[in-house]
Amino acid sequence: MLDRMKQMQAALDRLPHLRRMGALFSETVLIKVDGQEFYLVFEKGRIAQLLEGPSKKTPYRFSFVTDEDAFEEFWTATPKPGFHDIFAMVKIGRAEIMGDILLLVKNLRFLKEVLALPRARREVVE
Amino acid sequence: MTIEQITGRYLTVEVAGRAQRIYFEEAGQGRPVLCLHTAGSDTRQWRHILNDPAITAENRIIAFDMPWHGKSLPPEGFMQEEYLLSTKAYMETVLAVIGGLELNRPVLAGVSMGGRIALQLAVHHPESFAGFLAIEASDFQPAWYDIDWFHRPDAHGGEMGAALVSTNISPYAPDTERANTLWMFMQSGPGVFRGDLSFYTQDDSLVGQLHRIDTAKTPVHFIVGAYDFTCTPEDARRTAEQVEGATLSVMDEVGHFPMSEYPEAFRPFFVDGLARMPSAGAGAS
Repeated sequence: MLDRMKQMQAALDRLPHLRRMGALFSETVLIKVDGQEFYLVFEKGRIAQLLEGPSKKTPYRFSFVTDEDAFEEFWTATPKPGFHDIFAMVKIGRAEIMGDILLLVKNLRFLKEVLALPRARREVVE
Repeated sequence: MTIEQITGRYLTVEVAGRAQRIYFEEAGQGRPVLCLHTAGSDTRQWRHILNDPAITAENRIIAFDMPWHGKSLPPEGFMQEEYLLSTKAYMETVLAVIGGLELNRPVLAGVSMGGRIALQLAVHHPESFAGFLAIEASDFQPAWYDIDWFHRPDAHGGEMGAALVSTNISPYAPDTERANTLWMFMQSGPGVFRGDLSFYTQDDSLVGQLHRIDTAKTPVHFIVGAYDFTCTPEDARRTAEQVEGATLSVMDEVGHFPMSEYPEAFRPFFVDGLARMPSAGAGAS
């Protein structure tokens, strides 16, 4: 899972349009997968630091909690219904979002696209 | 160069004592089919159906922007108002457009909140319609979000709304059409999506009324996408089961905005739905 987080961090560095979208976002987000904690420290739309937990001292604004199987399905090119979106994952009971949800919603497009960065490319058949 | 077959004009009608200047688009001739857009969007969602020569060869497809949406301006005095859509105003608007355009018992095809009002009209004003396509439609959906998120001074309601509704777009949808679908939400006027959601998530007046629909006179066909997490296939099925004689189709690779997000996958279901409706002039009053 750490590799996935690093993949997300590196992909964001390569996407100036996404960094511009998140230019006003400088907050820490906790991603928790099967109990494993990853603190994504955003600074002006970049993941400036990727800190591994567990930690009881790292402040964060909100958390996205899920399991590895669900996250890996989310990152497939065409996830099954319910696994295709973070809010849909919450609705089917495979994820939880806690903390300052309004902050997430204000930056929702940016954060949804960042979390989806490890997603496999879909092959388009013409 | 291409020039599309869609034409757009304006119609001014009176709704609840107020003049409403309504923008509508149409294409084709034959049986009238009136199409309703979703909350927070506009007629452009129907662009692919309006541009489909096989469909418009036998059907006069018409779609209009609800007041406050798209190219329909809000009514005079709107700057001193809070926009909140109601079932009564929505039904009156649809009936006013039908009257204004002198449509003879059109098929009504509504999506999401348009599907909800199609079912309300099937209960309360069936005499004005030939039949109903209730797309991504249910009797009631309480909000799993706070509708006030989408109208506040410190954030862009349109961008937030688009990001929220992206939950309901299928991963099979072509990237271009996904983006176009979201763009319409981003362009929505301040407070309009919230005002639509107020109607959609708080008005439960349809609950317990669906048994009144007589599908022998006005058939009702439901269409729902498997990737719709606002109106799930279970929600549509629960609703359809309350309408005796109603039919239901589930689209496996489509979400909440089928005609806009994935037009190619939606088309056969829409054509099938139209085939279930009375042909032009059948049973006309």
